[in-house]
Parts: sequence; structure tokens; C-alpha cells
Amino acid sequence: MALLVGMLCPATGAVLITHRRLLQANLISHAVVPGLVLALFLGIDPALGGVFSGLIGALVAERLALKRNGENEAVTNTVLAGTLGLGVLLIPLLEIRVDLESILFGDLLAVGSIDLIRILLSAIALLLLLKTSYQKLVYLGLDPDGASANGLRISSLRLALGFVTALVIVSSMAAVGVVLVIGLLSTPALFGLYQATSLHSAMIRSAGYGILISFIGFWLAMAFNLSPGPLISCLCLGSLAIQRKV
Amino acid sequence: MTSLIANHLSYAYGKEYVLKDISLELKSGTLTALVGPNGAGKSTLLRLLQGQSLPHQGAIFLDAHPLGINRRQVALMPQRSSINWNFPITVEDLVALGQVNAANKSCCETEASLQRVGLSALAKKRLDSLSGGQQQRALLAKTLAQNATVFLLDEPCAALDPPSRSQFLRIVRQLAEAGLTVVVSSHDWGQALNAYDKVIALDRTVLAFGTPDEVRNKLQSISSMGNHCCG
Repeated sequence: MALLVGMLCPATGAVLITHRRLLQANLISHAVVPGLVLALFLGIDPALGGVFSGLIGALVAERLALKRNGENEAVTNTVLAGTLGLGVLLIPLLEIRVDLESILFGDLLAVGSIDLIRILLSAIALLLLLKTSYQKLVYLGLDPDGASANGLRISSLRLALGFVTALVIVSSMAAVGVVLVIGLLSTPALFGLYQATSLHSAMIRSAGYGILISFIGFWLAMAFNLSPGPLISCLCLGSLAIQRKV
Repeated sequence: MTSLIANHLSYAYGKEYVLKDISLELKSGTLTALVGPNGAGKSTLLRLLQGQSLPHQGAIFLDAHPLGINRRQVALMPQRSSINWNFPITVEDLVALGQVNAANKSCCETEASLQRVGLSALAKKRLDSLSGGQQQRALLAKTLAQNATVFLLDEPCAALDPPSRSQFLRIVRQLAEAGLTVVVSSHDWGQALNAYDKVIALDRTVLAFGTPDEVRNKLQSISSMGNHCCG
């Protein structure tokens, strides 16, 4: 499980960084919370609710940001805070018992076979996206205006990428939590992108770095009885500082 | 002979018209400069001519047919600022993107385009390891790989040093001599306009259209618009 999360998140992160969509991924990771809570209340799979509300949050932010240029970051962060706040408020309002800490920061002990299935489904979704649209993803990341001028359906591609991102985040929830997953989406991908000559080689390299960081993080978590999410986040920060020689 | 004709084009952002009553004819084998100050509507006009945006009034024809059905015959090289230059990609993979949505894909188009701009030796290099001039030539090669007959280049010489500008202009001249229609936009202009066959002076509407001398004669205050141009 740890290795799968460590592989999948950075591979997805490499695509998100090159598409400048990491802020949106951060928004999705927070916007999944109200969906998770609602799904638990309705007695359906929380992952379904999380993916749905994560995507809705991303679409709402995109729609609101369209109204005025140059306000994307502020709008995205507003929606991020609003959706997370809504999720937290829904817990007492719906009178359900939810371990919010494990949703936000992960709980390796709570990992079950369903989480493994979710991770595998996310990996399949990512591979399908790459198989059907790799060249188009490259074009969109490199030159969005040119891709549009060349007749590529940009909004469909971005929606598909948002869907895969939401799937990856929700499926990584049990291992590292929806808040700290952003560390695994970012840091190994930054290492992987360095001097890579193609998006797919960057994804493979990122996945390699992610596996290494996750392995060390989970091993330390088990050895010292610590929560893996925060530990991996600290490892990400430390490794980035070492790489940048800070 | 490919001829791109714009008839009475107008385009507005909201209620404000940024282009009004634009009529032009761009003939094959000609190298045309599109000049005008910042905000003159050059990029908007190029997007209309490429079919990326639709005019609010007027129509565009390619060889007497509406542009819509022949849109792939017109290729647009975007401004430098719209490209993510840190994207992990080699020069040859960048150029191959020109064929992503091409109707007639050709195995040799990438290599041919690289040769045309003189970048074959750098095909395996990562894009962000090239100089600014080489990057612009790589972008031109990608545009050429689209197999179009009309090429619209949006400020390709912005931020290039004079030798790189000269080299770039030599390449686009060769393209025009090969029978292609090439339009190069710039917000600067001056004596270098003599390198072009035709000049369009634009400031929301066409101020002048003709040979460089004709345009100069028509515009009394040509020097007030700057004195540097591509090339």
C-alpha cells in the first residue's frame, strides 16, 4: 500500500506540476472532505462522495476564477477553505461519527483491502488517461493556447485530469491523509522533473523517488509508532532542502 | 495559390471593439509584417485569421472557401509568453506535437521541419537548454510541422538579440520563397520593414496596407510608432 501510494502520487504530481495544476490538486484534496462526510451519512462508499465533491470544488473554483483575470490563486484558496469548512461543519450537523484526524492526516492502521482496490483503480484511471491522451496532455502542458488553436478539447482533458487527481487523492487518504497527500504529489515530482527529457520519463523518475520517500517514511512510522502522513511530509521537506542545498 | 482573405472583420471584448472593419488579402509566397502599437489588436487579428476566435462581423475565406472547413491550413505560432519553457520535452518531441491533430500525418515531417529551421543537430536536446533564438526556431519548426500553407507568427522576435532576429527572418523569407504565406507580427517597426513584401499597419483598424514604401508614404507619423522591427 505504502509503495503504491508512493508511486502513484508523484507520477500524478509530475503531470500536475507541468500543467500548473498543483494548486487545483490542493483544492481538490480539501474539497473531498464534505463529500466524504455526506457519503458516510448516506451510507455509500465515502470515496465516491469524495471524488464527486473534489471535482465539484475544482469546477466551482474554475468557474469563479473565469469572472476576473489574475485572481485564480485567491479564488482557489477561498473555495479550498470554504469546502473544508463545510466538511467540518457537516460532521456535527449530520450527527455522524467521523475520525477527522485520520481523514486529514492518514492512519496506516485503518488501511484495508478496499483501500488497496481504490489505489489500483486510481492507477488504472491514470494509465488509461495516459494511454488515450498522452500527446494531448503534453501539448496542453506545454502550450495551452496552441493546443486550443490546434483543435484539442482542453476542457475535457482538464476535467479528465481533475477526475484522476481526485481519485488519487481519495485513494491515498487512508495512508497519508487528504491534506498531507500534497507533499507526495509535489516533492518527488520536483526531483523527477529535474533534467527529464519527456513527461513519461519524469513520471517514472518521480514515482521512483516517491517509492523511496514512502518506504523510508512508513518504515520510520512503524519503527517509532508515529503517524506516516506527517512523517512523510517532513521527509519531503527535508529531502527538498537537501536537494536545494539549503 | 493559397490566398487568405478577410472581409470587413470586427471583434469586440464586451462592448468595446478591438478590431473594426478589417479587410485584407494575403497572397501565397508573400512575407507580410503586421505592425502596430501595444493593444492595436494584432494578436486578436491573428487568432481570428487562424479561426481560433470567431469575428463578430465579417468573414474569412481561404481560396474562396469559408475558413471553417480549411482551418488546418492556417497555423498560428503563439507568443513566447504562452509557452511553458520548463516543460520536460526534447526539441524533436516538441516539433512532433505539430502533427498531433494534423489531417495528413507524415513520418518525415518532424525531421523536415527541423532541417528547415536549422535545428537538426539539437533534436535530442531538452527545450529549456536552448538559447532564446533556438527556442523560437524550435517553436517555428513545430508550427511548420502542422503542414499548413498559411503561417501566422505572433511576435516571434520579441526578446531576441539582433543576430537571432536576422537569422529568424532569413528562415521565414525562405518559407515565403517556397510559396507559403507568412505573416509576422511585431509592435516595433522601422527600416527593417524593407525585408517584407507587404506591411499591415494596424491600430484597431487597418491604417495602411501595401508595400513598405506605400505604407510609409501613407502614414505621415511612422516614426512615432518606434524604430525597431523583427529582423
